[in-house]
Amino acid sequence: MRRALARIGRFTRARMLTLLETLAVSAHAARIAVRPASWSVPARAEFRRRLTQAVLGALPATIVLGLVLGLGMVVQAVTWLGFAGQQALLGQVIVTVMVRELVPVLVGLLLLGRSGLVGMIELGAMQRDGTARALASQGVDPMLLLVTPMIVAFALAAFTLGVVFILLALLSGFLTAGLVSGQAQSLPEALDGVLRAMRAIDFAIVPAKLLVIGGLIGAIAAVTGLGRNGAEGTERLLPRGFVRGVLAVVLASAGLSFAA
Amino acid sequence: MTAALEIDAELPGGMAVKLHLDAGETALVLGDDEHSLAALADLATGLSRPASGSIRFLGQNWAALADDAGDVLRGRIGRCFFRGGWLAHLPLAENILLPGLFQDGASRAARTEAAARWARHFLLPGLPLGMPAHFDRAELQRAALVRAFVGEPALLVLENPLDGGAVPDLMAPLLQAIAMTRNAACLWLTTSPTRWRERGGIAAQQLRLTARGLVPTMQERAA
Repeated sequence: MRRALARIGRFTRARMLTLLETLAVSAHAARIAVRPASWSVPARAEFRRRLTQAVLGALPATIVLGLVLGLGMVVQAVTWLGFAGQQALLGQVIVTVMVRELVPVLVGLLLLGRSGLVGMIELGAMQRDGTARALASQGVDPMLLLVTPMIVAFALAAFTLGVVFILLALLSGFLTAGLVSGQAQSLPEALDGVLRAMRAIDFAIVPAKLLVIGGLIGAIAAVTGLGRNGAEGTERLLPRGFVRGVLAVVLASAGLSFAA
Repeated sequence: MTAALEIDAELPGGMAVKLHLDAGETALVLGDDEHSLAALADLATGLSRPASGSIRFLGQNWAALADDAGDVLRGRIGRCFFRGGWLAHLPLAENILLPGLFQDGASRAARTEAAARWARHFLLPGLPLGMPAHFDRAELQRAALVRAFVGEPALLVLENPLDGGAVPDLMAPLLQAIAMTRNAACLWLTTSPTRWRERGGIAAQQLRLTARGLVPTMQERAA
């Protein structure tokens, strides 16, 4: 009995520790990021590398997913709300379901798969072969050179990809819906309807979600990669990072929705 | 005069380490394995803390320094590692220049010129521009020494700098470089008893790292 309780306690404490580490790294990175002195020449170069990799790497998938989601979701909403005679609710449905809830989660998952896990593997390799320690030994703080640029880059990348995603989904959805249903509503009118359906808080919550989710993916990649046990193989690191990342994306999105 | 490096500490395993190194002096330390020697190097550079006692570099106690101040002070140390320590996504030249550019944003041109000079000294054709994966072991070892010596360090920590004799024609340039860097103390760590005996002449102190700690050799004790 005591052994079982000890096991449950160990499991819970380990998870809580990871959560606290992730939050601490995120908060520390946010504090560092606003200090101009933190952005040395190598740190700026690392930020550019990460941002380019994250945005360009996930852009093709974002475009495809945005177009497909627009075709599927917006067309469906236009068609079925038209049947029910509830076209007035169209903007509200799209804002609530797609813009506020679906897009941040999908963009987060894309970013996690395309760049977050890559960053985690890179940092894990540096931890394993001693490069992270070698940097620290030369007075180069890995938090300043590698972790903070990655967190900031992922946050900005998530925001950029999210905006691209929303625009493409709305455009493709309304254009297709217009062709399919032959409705008279023009594209500017449809977009205007979406904007009118957005409450003031939505203008804050959508960017906040994207930035927080992107930053958390970076923090989880750093905590998981640099927290790697020396003997641990990539086959154990990868699923752990993926699960942590998915949980972070979903929980951050749900938490911010609830707070709003 | 303030010692460049002063260690009077006990490690968690009960290992006693006592070392005093002035600028221009070299201490040659023989150890059984890379792991324990790297632990000593980490201790000297303030990366790990002793169980008791103090470690002072240029008169500053590592334990009393804030993280930022410690990083700045570590920028005065040139270290050649047992294992690479290269960032795989950066060209070797950028790896070499990285600590200097990160620490003080010093003129890139001046630093590049100094690095190229050291590269030629260690018999490389110039500052190596390719990615680390594209160089062989000997070239990487030469580049590691360039990284250690560039930036006018106050302390050199050289972990098997001759790579067990795997790199040809490296001994003479290395000894010359140590002699040229008069303001730096040098902690030369080796796992090779042969090298240790051969190089005894250049060292002010010759020590062994044993389970009990850092032990002076017979000659040292006799002196």
